[in-house]
Amino acid sequence: MSGSIVSVPDSDRLLHLLTAALFILLTGCGPAEVVVKGNFPTPLMQKLPITLGVWYSDDFAQHEFFEEAKTKTESSWIVRTGAAQVEMWDTLLDGMFVRVVLMNGKPGPGQMNPSVDAVLIPNVEELQYAIPAQTNIKVYEIWMRYRLQLVTTGGQPIADWSMAAYGKTPTAFLQSDQAAVNLAAVMALRDAGANFATTFSRVPAVDAFLQQRQGTPQGANL
Amino acid sequence: MIRNTCRFLLLGSAIATSSACVTSTVDQMVFNKPTEGLGDSTVVILGRRHASDYDTEPDFVECVGEHIADQDKSIEVIGELEFVNTFYPWFEPRTAPLQVADLERLLQQQPVAEKMAALKTEYMIWIDGSTVQTDSSGTMTCAIGPGGAGCFGFGTWGNDSNYEATIWDFTDQTEVGRISTTASGQSYMPAVVIPIPIIAPVQGTACDGIGDQLLQFLSSTQ
Repeated sequence: MSGSIVSVPDSDRLLHLLTAALFILLTGCGPAEVVVKGNFPTPLMQKLPITLGVWYSDDFAQHEFFEEAKTKTESSWIVRTGAAQVEMWDTLLDGMFVRVVLMNGKPGPGQMNPSVDAVLIPNVEELQYAIPAQTNIKVYEIWMRYRLQLVTTGGQPIADWSMAAYGKTPTAFLQSDQAAVNLAAVMALRDAGANFATTFSRVPAVDAFLQQRQGTPQGANL
Repeated sequence: MIRNTCRFLLLGSAIATSSACVTSTVDQMVFNKPTEGLGDSTVVILGRRHASDYDTEPDFVECVGEHIADQDKSIEVIGELEFVNTFYPWFEPRTAPLQVADLERLLQQQPVAEKMAALKTEYMIWIDGSTVQTDSSGTMTCAIGPGGAGCFGFGTWGNDSNYEATIWDFTDQTEVGRISTTASGQSYMPAVVIPIPIIAPVQGTACDGIGDQLLQFLSSTQ
């Protein structure tokens, strides 16, 4: 005895299928999205003997950049770097200073914050990128300019300086566009960390602050 | 019909497994050969990434390292990424020592000196160079239809590899040798229904050439 069963999708299932198909069509038309992810190593260096506070603004912690397609053949891009920025800076600062404390709010008069020697406020001031328009090699380049502020918990400025970072896709072989953009962003973040770690104490105002801190007890509020 | 198809596939496989010719030269300049075996010391091979117009490919650096480690099991080669992450931020493109004299400055950092001593790094080998596509010509047309898909045409391109390895003796903090290699070759891709790539292994030949010379240096004792 043989027979056959013909399966007819019920209306709910059909609706789900149509919704899924519509979602795929709509997302296919939207911008390519990259949420930057990477592993950031702890710096190998003598820790500076200060308790540093750090404050990430919402703009910084949710930093992203958007590239609108200029032609019909190109696609738009949204590259979200915020979470990776915070991860990199957290790892970097933990390896550079004896103690790092995340601030409750932006340092300023009347703002209740833990007691620290100084507070670092990083900001991405400018971001530029180059896409592989001339060749098919998926090498993307990213430049960032940070504005870094070192302030007291009361918001008084100690130092204010700019710092550049650059990264490009290290190897384009067998990479998707998204992976190539992610790698370029991770390289730029690594470069930012390397630049900060090797130049922080050479910034004149920071150097003066560190000199002044020698001889005063650590953890004292400024 | 089946016999014809088999013949066609066998011919295709035979062509595919063959490779185009590569011309290669290797120059070696050694100042001080090792006086004794490496023992339990290690070797690290790093790529130069400070030039604006090219980067030494991480794949090439890995290839040279594997070539040495595979040929002489007694030589321990530390992976580039592992080394660079361990010593972050001191071997990033922005901060890596360009001259052997810079090592002294680097080793003034106590955590760096301690980690170097723990790794027992005897030789640091810097590889500088890249493989580029020199020319390409030919046309190929591919089509897809209800009856199947296929390509017709012919393409050819050339590749040039140019690399130099500089060997630093970590204990004496001196440069002890330089090895350079160049390789060039022409690749072809005829297509009659199926494209058959006949690839010239230019980068692989350069890797073998520089790897053999480095192996000879590292395995030699005066």
